[in-house]
Amino acid sequence: MFDNFIFLSSAALAIGGALSVVVSTNLMHSCIYLLMSLIGVSGLYVTLSADFLAATQLVVYVGGVVILMLFAIMLTAGSDNKTVNRFGIVKIPPMGNLKTYIMSLLTAGVMGCSVLKMIMNINQTTKLGELPPYSTTVEQIGTLLVTDHVLAFEISSVLLLGALVGAAVIARPRLENEVTK
Amino acid sequence: MISLPSFLAISFILFVSGLVVMIAKKNIIAILLGVELILNSAALNFAAYTRFVNQNLDGHIMSLFIIIIAAAEAAVGLAIVIRFFQIRESIHIDDATQLLQ
Repeated sequence: MFDNFIFLSSAALAIGGALSVVVSTNLMHSCIYLLMSLIGVSGLYVTLSADFLAATQLVVYVGGVVILMLFAIMLTAGSDNKTVNRFGIVKIPPMGNLKTYIMSLLTAGVMGCSVLKMIMNINQTTKLGELPPYSTTVEQIGTLLVTDHVLAFEISSVLLLGALVGAAVIARPRLENEVTK
Repeated sequence: MISLPSFLAISFILFVSGLVVMIAKKNIIAILLGVELILNSAALNFAAYTRFVNQNLDGHIMSLFIIIIAAAEAAVGLAIVIRFFQIRESIHIDDATQLLQ
């Protein structure tokens, strides 16, 4: 029952967000719909009992990538591109409309149920030699990362450093005395 | 209800949405949004197969690396978009016709 509720609301968020990204013509709106879809995928990870993956999805995607995209949209929105609203969100009424209420209700439900599902079995005591039904995966993932997959782990750290330096070099502001051909 | 085919169906819808966004939209940032959707569908498939087919956590590790690479890709892609906008004053994909300014 509880799992079914999380699954249904997360699936609705993910699919509705993805389809809205396709349909929406405003770039800022489609970025917010992508946020909705990513939160839905995070809820789906919770139903798959992948709690570390769900937390990582929330932190990296919702907290990092989407915010980066919003900044990029706002930095480039001054162009005469017709699909970009100049200030992005002026069309939304201040208190929101039915669509934003539905979005926020589903998101709050998914997040609340996810946290509840993670902390629900803290006080449960299981018999000796018996695993709880949903044990946390953080310990096993940490062990796997530094034993079996340590090469991929190190390579990904080098990749992230390269991406950091590359992004900083590419997006640096143009200097005044820089010769442009 | 919570079974492998339903997760595969959701992942399929995410993938097709991302593909349609990548093909149909003419805005570079919108194309990056489509790439994020496709990477998410792949990561969801890995997690679903880990849960329902084999119980070891290799699929979780793979999803984790997909998330890492998506973050790196988004950073570099958006840096390129911002640089392109500084040079061309536009983020329309049809304006990106040459590598050298």
